[in-house]
Amino acid sequence: MSQNRLGVVVDGAFNAGLTVRLDSRITTEQLRIGNFVVVEGQQNRYFSLISDIHLKATDPRLLADPPRDPSPFIAQALAGTSTYATVEVRPMLMLEKADESDVDALFEERGGPEPVRTIPMHFAELREATELDFSTVFGQEGGANFAMGTPLAMDIPICLRLDRFVERSNGVFGQSGTGKSFLARLLISGVIKTKIAVNLIFDMHDEYSFDKQTEDGHWVKGLRQIFGSQVLIYALDEAMGRRRGRNVDVTLKIGLNQIEEADIVLLSQELNLRQTAEATIGLLRDAFRQQWLLKLLQMTPEELGEFCKGSGAHPASMASLQRNLKRLQRQDYVVDEATFSALDDMVEALDRGKHVILQFGRYNSVLDYVLVSNLVTRRVRQRYEEKTRRYEETKEVADKPRPLMITIEEAHKFLNPAVARQTTFGTIAREMRKYNVTLLVIDQRPSGIDPEVMSQLGTRVSGKLTEERDIEAVLTGVSNRSALRGALTSLNTRQQILIMGHAVPMPIVMRTRQYDERFYQAMGARVETSQDAQTDILDLFGDP
Amino acid sequence: MSIGEIIETTSTAFVAESFELNSPPPLGSLVVVQVSSETGTSTGLDLYAVVIYGQTVGLDPSRRAVRRSTDKVFDAAIYDQHPQLEHTLRTEFGAALVGFVADSVVRQHLPSQPPPLHYSVHTASVEQVRRFTNSLHYLRLLLVPHGEVPPPQVLAANVREVYQQRGVDRLWLDAAAREIATLLQSDHQALLTVLYSIDPGKVSPSTVRGGQI
Repeated sequence: MSQNRLGVVVDGAFNAGLTVRLDSRITTEQLRIGNFVVVEGQQNRYFSLISDIHLKATDPRLLADPPRDPSPFIAQALAGTSTYATVEVRPMLMLEKADESDVDALFEERGGPEPVRTIPMHFAELREATELDFSTVFGQEGGANFAMGTPLAMDIPICLRLDRFVERSNGVFGQSGTGKSFLARLLISGVIKTKIAVNLIFDMHDEYSFDKQTEDGHWVKGLRQIFGSQVLIYALDEAMGRRRGRNVDVTLKIGLNQIEEADIVLLSQELNLRQTAEATIGLLRDAFRQQWLLKLLQMTPEELGEFCKGSGAHPASMASLQRNLKRLQRQDYVVDEATFSALDDMVEALDRGKHVILQFGRYNSVLDYVLVSNLVTRRVRQRYEEKTRRYEETKEVADKPRPLMITIEEAHKFLNPAVARQTTFGTIAREMRKYNVTLLVIDQRPSGIDPEVMSQLGTRVSGKLTEERDIEAVLTGVSNRSALRGALTSLNTRQQILIMGHAVPMPIVMRTRQYDERFYQAMGARVETSQDAQTDILDLFGDP
Repeated sequence: MSIGEIIETTSTAFVAESFELNSPPPLGSLVVVQVSSETGTSTGLDLYAVVIYGQTVGLDPSRRAVRRSTDKVFDAAIYDQHPQLEHTLRTEFGAALVGFVADSVVRQHLPSQPPPLHYSVHTASVEQVRRFTNSLHYLRLLLVPHGEVPPPQVLAANVREVYQQRGVDRLWLDAAAREIATLLQSDHQALLTVLYSIDPGKVSPSTVRGGQI
């Protein structure tokens, strides 16, 4: 009998999971929903999750008439015999057993755990997972394996396979205050460190570039401070660049000529547009092509009337459209005309392996965020499509576009069911994997995201969620939902997450890694935060 | 110590007459019958039994005992006044067989042969008790009713006796309580009867683990 034995399998079905009777010395308080446990079958070892815990009694009369004054002695005698507990266990992976004395060698030969195809017989032993089990399933740190955190009760790394992670779009969810942006920083740091993909981050609240104070009061470093010149900072706000020690590499301007119909439709709620706006914009576009917005905003009332006569547009809706769109012109970062050169340079920088953070600074309203992110992403996507086509023609390794991961916050603004079909983000989430572009979606209300997009997310990282609809949404398209649902609601608010999907072999609850000095060092951070001039010059003018 | 002689024997239990009037071995205590090997090749059998009742009756079962006490003579003094009582009364006890030791191996099931009639019955020494009760399977054999004492009371008496003879061994008591809880799981009233009567009462909290029911 092993030291960490919990009980024996007494019932089960392949489709419903196993029922394990707990040993009398094990109290249910020792176990948590979502715990990683191991069932030792005769030929296979089953890596499993605890999905439910039941209290039972052998004699129902005992429950109807519990002992009135149980002394500790009697309570102890009854616990685990007349009254006992069972746990429901879900096998997730199985591994054929080998000679215990030569575990490592045999693991490598067999290539690790496989999906569950059988279940163990009666009285198979259930035990707590050991360090060896964790490393068997989640692998060792190093290479594309990035340590995301540790098991709740152990101090060994649980690894995420970043190469698989960036293959698909991913989501980071959790109620506010569960540390979503720290999680995103961890993930992005891992991607930067391992050079598996390049990042484009739409940083609505200026959280990613420079140091930031956490909720419990200490300062943590930003990505620019950890990774130095590998990270380029773009800003909309010119004032951002003037702050000490917070260099901004490029200040971005958006031209009215760059704004398209789709951008406006996406903003119809923020801009208070009527339903006729889309048709009106269509007419304007037909007449003026790329200049439509500029022309519209410049029209005098007479010109407006004339245009309506000529095109058949409704004068009142034209006037209200003009009024509402004037708001765009009032944003400082919007200019009448801009070229795409800044954005194309950005794509080139990404292609050189730089990572880009776009800071919104003062312009952190939803209007700004949605407009700019959508516009920038559309351009990036176009360029990536072109690159991919060229690569398909030449088949030169040098032409192969680097995988790009685009991080967006408040994702439901872009990916809600009403607009997900029209936004570039919706397109990327659904099909852009083939162009090597994926999303990292950050949101606190996953229920607001189009279910079709949710089901396309490869890996989901979630902090605590309590809203039933959000839990439903996060678990869209995941098997064994009942086990995971319990795990999600029972997470601590801080530092505990559930990861499931493409980048982990099985869903797992973990304590996230500390984002501290040790982490910075592991990521290869420089001790000095000031940049050396040489690398800055390289950033500006490219590699010689 | 030899305490009696077997006067009735079956495969599951035997009745012995106590050497001492009014002093049968304690209810639930372990007694031993030594049976020497007939072939002589082995060291013989020690049959273990648990006392399931004791009684004192007249030699002639058709004659009921009559009152002997007076205003001045009562209790033990009656026996001084009537020395013939020692010869007209007898004390006997029943014991249920629970196992044996053969070739130094403890077996907790019924022996193949009942103990021979007229063999002596001994109290089990502390060492014998300790050795025999290390395993608790013998408790199962006490679930079968043998005499007038209900099995839960015999079980409880046995556990109390052994607990004391093992030197107030709390670990053993806890294990026995759990074993009994398993055996009586379908009859929780009987189970509680046993548990209440073997509860050692308040002990220092450090030795008590486990929580509420």
